[in-house]
Amino acid sequence: MAIVEEPLALPSGQPDKAEKPLGALSRPSELTGLKDWLTTVDHKKIGIMYGAAAMFFLVIGGVAALLIRLQLATPDNTLLSGDAYNRVYTMHGTVMVFLVVMPIGAAFANFLMPLQVGARDVAFPRINAFSFWIFFLGGLMLNTSWFIGGGADGGWFNYAPNNGIAFSPSTGIDFWNIGLLIVGIGSLTGSINLITTVLNMRAPGMTLMKMPVFTWMTLVTQFLLLFAIPVLTVAQVLLAADRLFDANFFNVDMGADPLLWQHLFWIFGHPEVYLMILPAFGIVSEVIPTFARKPIFGYPFMVFSGIAIGFMGWGVWAHHMFVSGIGPLSVTAFSVATMFIAVPTGVKILNWMATLWGGRLILNTAMLFSIGLVTQFTIGGLSGVSHALAPSDTQQTDTYYIVAHFHYVLFGGALFGFMAGFYFWWPKAFGYKLSEAWGKWNFWLMVIGFNLTFGPMHILGLQGMPRRMQTYSEAQGFGFWNLVATWGAFILAVGTVLVLVNALVSYLAWKREGKPDVGADPWDGRTIEWSIKSPAPGHNFDVDPVVSSLDDFWHRKYQPDESGKLRRVHTGEELAQPGDPTGVHLPAPSYWPIVLAASMPIIGYGLIFSLWLMIPGILLMTLALWGWALEPADDLDADHGDHHDDDHGPDTDSSGAEAELETVS
Amino acid sequence: MTGPTSSRARSTIRAGRRTLTRLAALAALALTAAACADDKPLNTFEPRSPQARRIDDLMSPIWWVMGVIFVLVVFGTMIISWRNRVKESDYDPEDLPEQVHGNTPLELAWTIAPAVLLAIIAIPTVDAIWDLEERNDECGVGEVGPGCDGLDVMVIGQQWWWEYRYDVDGDGFFLDVDGDGEAGDADDREWPLELSLDPDDVVTATELVIPAGQQVDLILTSRDVIHSFWIPRLNGKRDTVPGRWHTWSIQADDAGKYTGWCTEFCGLSHARMRMSAIALEPAQFDAWLANQSELADIPGDDDPDAVAGRELFLNNCQRCHVIDDGEIPAPEDIALVSRAAPDLTHFATRSTFAGGIYSVYAGGPGDATDANDDALPADDYLNLAELASNPDSLDDYRLNAAELKRWIANAPAQKDMAPDPNPETGLGRGMPAFTDLSDEQLDQIVAYLATLD
Repeated sequence: MAIVEEPLALPSGQPDKAEKPLGALSRPSELTGLKDWLTTVDHKKIGIMYGAAAMFFLVIGGVAALLIRLQLATPDNTLLSGDAYNRVYTMHGTVMVFLVVMPIGAAFANFLMPLQVGARDVAFPRINAFSFWIFFLGGLMLNTSWFIGGGADGGWFNYAPNNGIAFSPSTGIDFWNIGLLIVGIGSLTGSINLITTVLNMRAPGMTLMKMPVFTWMTLVTQFLLLFAIPVLTVAQVLLAADRLFDANFFNVDMGADPLLWQHLFWIFGHPEVYLMILPAFGIVSEVIPTFARKPIFGYPFMVFSGIAIGFMGWGVWAHHMFVSGIGPLSVTAFSVATMFIAVPTGVKILNWMATLWGGRLILNTAMLFSIGLVTQFTIGGLSGVSHALAPSDTQQTDTYYIVAHFHYVLFGGALFGFMAGFYFWWPKAFGYKLSEAWGKWNFWLMVIGFNLTFGPMHILGLQGMPRRMQTYSEAQGFGFWNLVATWGAFILAVGTVLVLVNALVSYLAWKREGKPDVGADPWDGRTIEWSIKSPAPGHNFDVDPVVSSLDDFWHRKYQPDESGKLRRVHTGEELAQPGDPTGVHLPAPSYWPIVLAASMPIIGYGLIFSLWLMIPGILLMTLALWGWALEPADDLDADHGDHHDDDHGPDTDSSGAEAELETVS
Repeated sequence: MTGPTSSRARSTIRAGRRTLTRLAALAALALTAAACADDKPLNTFEPRSPQARRIDDLMSPIWWVMGVIFVLVVFGTMIISWRNRVKESDYDPEDLPEQVHGNTPLELAWTIAPAVLLAIIAIPTVDAIWDLEERNDECGVGEVGPGCDGLDVMVIGQQWWWEYRYDVDGDGFFLDVDGDGEAGDADDREWPLELSLDPDDVVTATELVIPAGQQVDLILTSRDVIHSFWIPRLNGKRDTVPGRWHTWSIQADDAGKYTGWCTEFCGLSHARMRMSAIALEPAQFDAWLANQSELADIPGDDDPDAVAGRELFLNNCQRCHVIDDGEIPAPEDIALVSRAAPDLTHFATRSTFAGGIYSVYAGGPGDATDANDDALPADDYLNLAELASNPDSLDDYRLNAAELKRWIANAPAQKDMAPDPNPETGLGRGMPAFTDLSDEQLDQIVAYLATLD
């Protein structure tokens, strides 16, 4: 099955030593503190930083959401002007999609996937750090537009020709355009990195069909990213040429067809939807079997339906354009294709239900959020079918019915899945469990607030309230449900913030108790990440795990007795690795990823404000690439959580080979 | 065990269930009531045309299918989860449920069954797509000729109002730009749009007046960004895209007012780009169209305010606005992206202005509505349109003078617009402020507008 069954055994050799690659900077070696976080190449720390950065952007996107809801709470409200409203709703969508949901998916993929496949790190650790920093710095640059130029005002979909300089002369859309171009570089390098990791660095014995479902969904997601991001990049380069250099790609006066932008944007935009939801599908496919104490029902169906979604996701983009005037033949084809993408999604829902069926369910917070995903996503899926029917979509598209639909998919689906993931893997990341009492409040306030916010939007949309409306008048009759939705939004905001409160409260409680060890396997887990200490040590696995089955760790704990009945023969703690490795080399920290990433926003500002400003950016970029090229990937003198330094030497075991692979980056 | 406790418990459960059922029924009732309430002018569940009914008929059974799946999956999941729950404190590692890894026939069944269901749904869907498309008269695209019956109207979206052009003389919407002797063929559709449009067409704004019971073929386009034309009771929506000509059709069963709203995000005042279709009985419609085809009145000496107002119009408003009374010249080189502003020739026969956000009239015969009211009641719109076929009776209506004056004096303060020249293109979007005009001058302009019936 597997493309590569064993890690690649590259010839081992002594890397060149270059302590001061440019003769000035000595190599960073800190493993704690700020400098460590800035220079680390550890996939777990990078994963945590992805999560933390996403939470930071979630606050920005969330405040924007609350402003939208306050503005729409009553008819003819004047809290936000038309201009301010357009900027706020555009930035809400942009920040939530590109800087919150996608990065949380990346946080889980980074933190978890290497642990699930039994690897020491990702294939290209420095590129991994670069991916994070370029996402974070690009996202920050995008958000500086709040203060310089006032945020983009064309909607996250940013249709031409309204995105042109004639209709949006401020720099907001330039920030949107250049900022997302930069963030996209991070997504692209990240996808190549993670695909390589899954395909080449799995533990011995882990064939593709023994991979955890989350790892599978990560693989599908990264392939979607790999092919979708370049399409957006093309569209954004064309737009940048139009706006910054007076090109005419979208200039109707010069004969352009504005539908070009729509096609490019949605060829990216629809796979984008699936790459936001598939990581969450993977997460609940891990959580539900653990707390139902049953294997996932129909593992091959779960895997292949995920792959099917990944393929079919490319053939449905024009359902965003049923009223754009693309002609009845296109409408028919995309209408039918869109209806059938419900099939693999439905299979997943039914398989989760079958996994729950007859289980011994522990309804803790992680499980509640997973069940929340199954139910709420179903609602979003059903409303999706109603606008797959193109004639029906001509009444529903660009109304609040669509807003309800995609929030049920992306909030009730993706974010609920991510919340389940937070509660589930928190001990593996930080060494303590999140409080269940706070967790229950977290869940119930979110699920109630969520349905109060977005449930009424179905009604509003079918009553004819269009989207992207700064205001509405009393006579249109939208007042009541809008007010309900606004109250719901505040309940939802409180509910969402509780996860951060919970993290803090639980940490303080844990610290008060003297930081007791939560154990390697607090949930009676199924996959191999539960066979190492919590929090996961820097080197992950003391020895390479050898995998012989799906849910390998669980099968080592539970084995059939003579009568064939499953008995627990070991506890997780008995099997857990002690976290005391020998002869491990890890990729060394590096300054260059963050320096290279920092050069790009400078070039971006230069494109927007003055081309002269690009010069320092380009110089910095050249310097960073130079330094990166001269720096060997691992530093044999560094101590990386290895307690047996004396045993150093050119090692020939597989972990050494993995370390060698790092030099490729 | 049969004891008072258990029977009480049971009755409590039953009572609880009754309450739940009642609550559910109430909630369903509230939802239905909310969906059917007649104070929702854009409601998508009240089709009033063959086109909208076609869409509604397609969806009505599907809502039920969706409802059944919703109940089965969502409540099914909740029930399964609740019934199989184990308290965490009762966790017993030896107490494993049956380890079911899957069931291939079952999974194949629930892969194939939804696929079959969707295939069944796809049949009427495809049928509806083509049926609705065939209603869009090919002749509608600005052409006249044998087999092209019915009224053709060109709908042009722009920031942030709608223009309607009626091809009353039957020579198509376009001039014979390429000089091949046939006006309005594909080569005649030049860009920018203004250069090729037939100036002899009847041109109105914001309210689309149509004859009831007849199909109206629409040709949709835009002068600047993408807009979307949507009057939910008469049909679904269709985008108006600059440089493209889309065919669409509407039809109203009965006379009445049908509310619509621009539904593609179009910038600053997207929320204030509203419109409506007003359906008149065919005879009234003919009278209305005949009146619209006439030149505007030139005020006589008995109305000195209106005469002064016309002078002010010539010196200020004529830069962008058309009033065709045979003497006022048409504006040239309008410094707007759209190169057009609403045609005001028969302004006083309309019921709304400023992109459908303000009422032209503050009160009808005999009522004393506050002049600042946002709009007349919906029925009055209709009366007004009927009266437009008999303009003399408009004298009984009181113009919304206060709002009109506010609008003329400082339109950007009433509605988000960008009238100042764009640094890149030198063109503005929307109506500039005229703060130099005195209150008396504003009164004079309003007096002139009142004569434009």
